[in-house]
Amino acid sequence: MNKKIVVGISGGVDSSVAALLLAEQGYDVECIFMKNWEDEDGEVCTSADDYSDALQVCNILGLPIHSVNFSKEYWDKVFTYFLSEYKAGRTPNPDVLCNREIKFKAFLEYAMKLGSKHIATGHYAKIECINSQYRLLKGKDKNKDQSYFLYLLSQEPLSKSKFPLGDLEKEDVRHIAKKAGLPTANKKDSTGICFVGEKNFKQFLEKYLPANPGEIISTDERKVGTHSGLMYYTIGQRKGLGIGGGYSDNNDPWYVVEKDMKKNKLIVCQGKDNPSLYSSKIIVTQLHWITNIIPNEKQELAAKIRYRQKDQACTVELIKNKSAIVSFNKPIFAAAAGQSIVFYKNEECLGGGIIEPYVN
Amino acid sequence: MLYFDNSATTPIDQDVQSLMSDLNQNIYGNPSSIYASGRNAKNIIEIARRKLANAINSKPSEIIFTGGGSEANNIVLWDMVHKKRNHVITSSIEHPAILLVLRELEKLGVKHTIVPVDKNGLIDPDDIKKNIISDTGLISIMMANNEVGTIEPIQEIARIAHEHDVLFHSDAIQVLGKLPIDVKKLQLDIMSFSAHKFYGPKGVGALYIKDGVSINPMIIGGSQEKNMRAGTENVSGIAGLGLAAEIASNFEKENFSHLLELENYFKELIIDKHNDITFNGFDNNKLPGLVNLTIPNIPSDLLLINLDNDGISISNGSACSSGTISPSPVLKAMGLSDKSNLESVRISAGKYNTMDEVNKLVDSIHSSIVTIRKNT
Repeated sequence: MNKKIVVGISGGVDSSVAALLLAEQGYDVECIFMKNWEDEDGEVCTSADDYSDALQVCNILGLPIHSVNFSKEYWDKVFTYFLSEYKAGRTPNPDVLCNREIKFKAFLEYAMKLGSKHIATGHYAKIECINSQYRLLKGKDKNKDQSYFLYLLSQEPLSKSKFPLGDLEKEDVRHIAKKAGLPTANKKDSTGICFVGEKNFKQFLEKYLPANPGEIISTDERKVGTHSGLMYYTIGQRKGLGIGGGYSDNNDPWYVVEKDMKKNKLIVCQGKDNPSLYSSKIIVTQLHWITNIIPNEKQELAAKIRYRQKDQACTVELIKNKSAIVSFNKPIFAAAAGQSIVFYKNEECLGGGIIEPYVN
Repeated sequence: MLYFDNSATTPIDQDVQSLMSDLNQNIYGNPSSIYASGRNAKNIIEIARRKLANAINSKPSEIIFTGGGSEANNIVLWDMVHKKRNHVITSSIEHPAILLVLRELEKLGVKHTIVPVDKNGLIDPDDIKKNIISDTGLISIMMANNEVGTIEPIQEIARIAHEHDVLFHSDAIQVLGKLPIDVKKLQLDIMSFSAHKFYGPKGVGALYIKDGVSINPMIIGGSQEKNMRAGTENVSGIAGLGLAAEIASNFEKENFSHLLELENYFKELIIDKHNDITFNGFDNNKLPGLVNLTIPNIPSDLLLINLDNDGISISNGSACSSGTISPSPVLKAMGLSDKSNLESVRISAGKYNTMDEVNKLVDSIHSSIVTIRKNT
């Protein structure tokens, strides 16, 4: 029996514990640290701190660790898409694509070349094989569940992957790490873009896309301020608009409603309850389903339009070309074009797609 | 565990290790102190200085100790900030402790010209001559390359430098103990050394600076090393360097033949199993025991992981602090394609390697190639 498994280790607590658990279960664990981003200055090594944490973890666990550089694949398959979406005024989710193209493709293939039949990561999600279909389920820790980021996976990667943390709570994971004396036990969760790291997002984007400042217009067509470039704003955004008082009778906060790319105008409204911020229907394109089971034309499901959002009851009606119309029982706040919508049936993550602006 | 990466670093010599342990335990005086324990420490440093001087045919007064080879190179280049004639000529296959320093110094107004190499990594002295301008104050060319072992015509380059009244520095970090070094015969002005490349400790290096050549210090704050390198001396490390240099130079001929024998045996065995393998750089005119080879369609990172899992250490490309590998700039400068570059590995034998270890190395490379071909 080939019990070899390659674990993607990032230098964080989750993947550290994933490796530890598999080693305890008797797997022949080999750890691979992925480096997927290089700063413009090619000579400078990014992610050196994370690698050094990963190295210390592997040393304590007595596991071999090697590094692999997928920065070219990341740039070609993830980052160029990310930039083109931003340029079009949309809000892409690079981590979703990173999972499909890098962790569960380039990395998976690399592990196969090393003679392994399986890979594992520290994701909070579960995989179950029922009736010869691999199903993706929410992780036990509902607060950390990462199935949202994994909805683009299909049968082959799921059949070759293991998520050892699926049945654990984050607290358990930290506890296991602490007990084993791992230096990552108390490491803060990363919140940056996967692999690019935590950066000042505005400064980061500025390097790749030219900013084009313009006017901020209220929904009743008054100029209320200036924006520094539409790409820096997201639908539903409240902070950082810089709209002072005096534009209305009340002091309700302003929110981004829309980005008018043609006129380079940012449209805003006042008050979180403002109806222009809510949609009861959206169009979803680029639909992907995880199992090979053909979905019903019309079904009652739950959906998340952003990570960690509560499940939203909805009706999904398939139309042609991998698209659907999704109607929500209760209108949803700030559905941004380009974001991923992910569908669930109870615990199971069925798949998802990309939100498009709904035009009546 | 089989160690075939002696160009990266070498295991410490047992006699050097014993000497250093003894000194660490018993000699704690500060060499700058005037009382007995200080004088003892100072004396140990001077013995080491004499040993290195003997090994390279210099005067002891022409040696200063540094915190390693990179620091030695840095001292030489940073000196250019103070010089009026501050144009530097170097080559495309120098160590990053030359090339990256020059890139940094550009911001401070120190200009440089990089001369190319041919497909074997050889520098043409005429190229250097052609690039000398009135502002040229320093030429820095390594004595032998760390990735392919090419021996550069430094005697000829030194002659050209002196004809134009330009200082000549050579990074000889890979060379001591493998080839004879005679700084007088080579007509050098400055040369860099690093102890851990010749079975000495890490973190200690040295500069030979010819009498009469004036270099400004980089680390200031004490009168150690004749004001050239401030900081309380690493007494046991310096002593280790001295003894290691003595041993390396005494056994240089034996070591040369031993390494050459291992190299030839390796090449013979590996070519017999995989005749599509090519060797990068010269067959001769190179450091013995160092082989850089390209294995078609075998990515070097996969090969290295497989060998590492077998307990065998060899290297490829230029490693970075997050453990990943980039294409080697040296092989690139020699005209290798990116594909071949990433299919190239360096094997560097040392004095402790045996013929039997070469057998095991070749077996492991062979079975790794078979495994990789099977899985891709």
